[in-house]
Amino acid sequence: MTGRVNSLVHSLRTSLTTRKLPQGGWPFLGGSLQMGLEPTCLALLALRLERSASAAVLLDAQRPDGSWGSFATDDEASGLTGLALLTLNALGMFAHAATRATDWLLDAKGREASWIWKWKFRTTDTRVRFDPDKFGWPWEPGTCSWVVPTVFALLALKQSFPCCRKGRVAYRIQCGVQMLLDRACPNAGWNAGNGVVYGIAMAPHIDTTATALLALRSEPTNELIEPSLVWVEHQACSCPSPWSLAWAILALDAYNRPVGSLQQRLVNLTELDETDNIATLAAIALALDCTACGNPFEVVA
Amino acid sequence: MTRRAALAGSLGIATSAAASLPFLVPRYDRDRRPTGSRVAILPATEYSEKLSGALWEGLELFNLDVAGKSVLLKPNLVDYIPGAEINTHPLLVTAAAEAFHRLGAKRVTVAEGPGHQRDTQLVLRATGLEQHLKEQRIPFVDLNRDEVVKIRLRADYSRLKHLWLPRTVLEADFIVSIPKVKAHHWSGVTLSMKNMFGVVPGVKYGWPKNLLHWHGIQQSIVDLVATVPIHFVIADAIVCMQGNGPLAGTARRLDRIVLSDDPVAADATCARLMGLVPGRVPHIAETAKFLGNMSPDRIDQLASAVISPPAPFETVPEFEHLRVSHRAAG
Repeated sequence: MTGRVNSLVHSLRTSLTTRKLPQGGWPFLGGSLQMGLEPTCLALLALRLERSASAAVLLDAQRPDGSWGSFATDDEASGLTGLALLTLNALGMFAHAATRATDWLLDAKGREASWIWKWKFRTTDTRVRFDPDKFGWPWEPGTCSWVVPTVFALLALKQSFPCCRKGRVAYRIQCGVQMLLDRACPNAGWNAGNGVVYGIAMAPHIDTTATALLALRSEPTNELIEPSLVWVEHQACSCPSPWSLAWAILALDAYNRPVGSLQQRLVNLTELDETDNIATLAAIALALDCTACGNPFEVVA
Repeated sequence: MTRRAALAGSLGIATSAAASLPFLVPRYDRDRRPTGSRVAILPATEYSEKLSGALWEGLELFNLDVAGKSVLLKPNLVDYIPGAEINTHPLLVTAAAEAFHRLGAKRVTVAEGPGHQRDTQLVLRATGLEQHLKEQRIPFVDLNRDEVVKIRLRADYSRLKHLWLPRTVLEADFIVSIPKVKAHHWSGVTLSMKNMFGVVPGVKYGWPKNLLHWHGIQQSIVDLVATVPIHFVIADAIVCMQGNGPLAGTARRLDRIVLSDDPVAADATCARLMGLVPGRVPHIAETAKFLGNMSPDRIDQLASAVISPPAPFETVPEFEHLRVSHRAAG
């Protein structure tokens, strides 16, 4: 790492450590006392090599059904349960909690997976182009599959089962991958999960495209993955936002593309004192040290 | 016609009928309609510094009492697509902030939770709003990631019963909805009331806020605005969007801003300016039964009169019935 990158990573880790809540975990925004699942996972991943990074907060927050809520008092399962499992795996061996989380992931599915909704989306509700046979994971129970929850569920399952995938694990991974490929924007990239609406191609997003590419890293390259990589690489050069640029770097790094100049760009874009969003701070730290300390979102190709 | 097609058609009709059922029975706590509402349609042909003056003159017509209050400005920021008119213009947002400061507000905050784009800062930076807010030292709160509180809804059309909502919104004394006037492919129009979907937090409901779709978009809008009061509306109707909004429509000029102390009156007026029939938009028609005024005889037009456009705004096929036809106009 260069001096400036190194220095910012150090400052980011210090900032994350000082912003930790007294009861454990991290809120999304400074000033809040409400632990958020996503900032907590990303902060723990950014601090995973430090002694202070403890999985206790995640273990305590796991719900009886094996999922996690989106924030401390949430009374339902979150679509980011996959991110929590991935984080837990990065912090150590927690077999019981990981098994429960895996079981929950294998059971959870988008609402379009049921036969009646499949039928509806095939016959009367065809305004959004997608194949309901290819389903993934929803943000909330009782809703459709979307790209981001599917990405993190896939990453968690792929990392938990690097080889010898059988039965439901193999089926859900295959189905989730097919869902991502089906929901892509026609030319390249992904947005929330609506590639074509009323026959019009929708625009992709940098962060979602980058995370989808991470989840597809171990898949054979195809006519969608390669142009999406090229698109992210191009967009990253002018991306005005640290969050999206950080995810672009993580994806490009996973595909062994050079990211040094983008990391410098990310350093220039980052205004540490003015960034209130802790998930963003953690994502920046992860992107800046992924080349030196490893990329926690990488899956074996 | 094949048996399969007939079955599918029948189910479609049944589904449409089922979708309108929730509106057959009133499901609100009480009638809160004001006896009369005020709307001001102001000419504005460009996004420039002149907006501040025009907006101030318009606001003076309402004698708003916001002195010492915390004011929350809720613009419509959905995504950033270069060249597409999808967001409330930054200059209108900052003009509003300036005006409410001038009216003596204790604090003015801009807050939004985009429903499509997860990277809120990207939308703020790419649209230029972040720079404008920094220059005027106006704080911004990302409602997708704000602390949330579980709230019982004050109407029950969606059957959601409760929603987790951002603390910043719940603690604001005075909420101003600043929508971009657009046709919308799921709700027909997106105006001041549909704009409130942006207060529903992504941290809980995701991107998009799909739970609201499953519970009925029209029904969810009604429940939301019955629960989170809109105290004032400043609608960006200078360059609007028609067709496949909120993202993929085409620009359409109205050259106006619309102010109102009643969101139902504001949305009914905007719909008329778009050449649409407000009573055919389910969430406008239903909120007109208990929340605000849709009927022109209960709306005091403080500035220009409502003039229908030469041709109604284009819509997606499902909402063509909203457009003023010769028969309906007659």
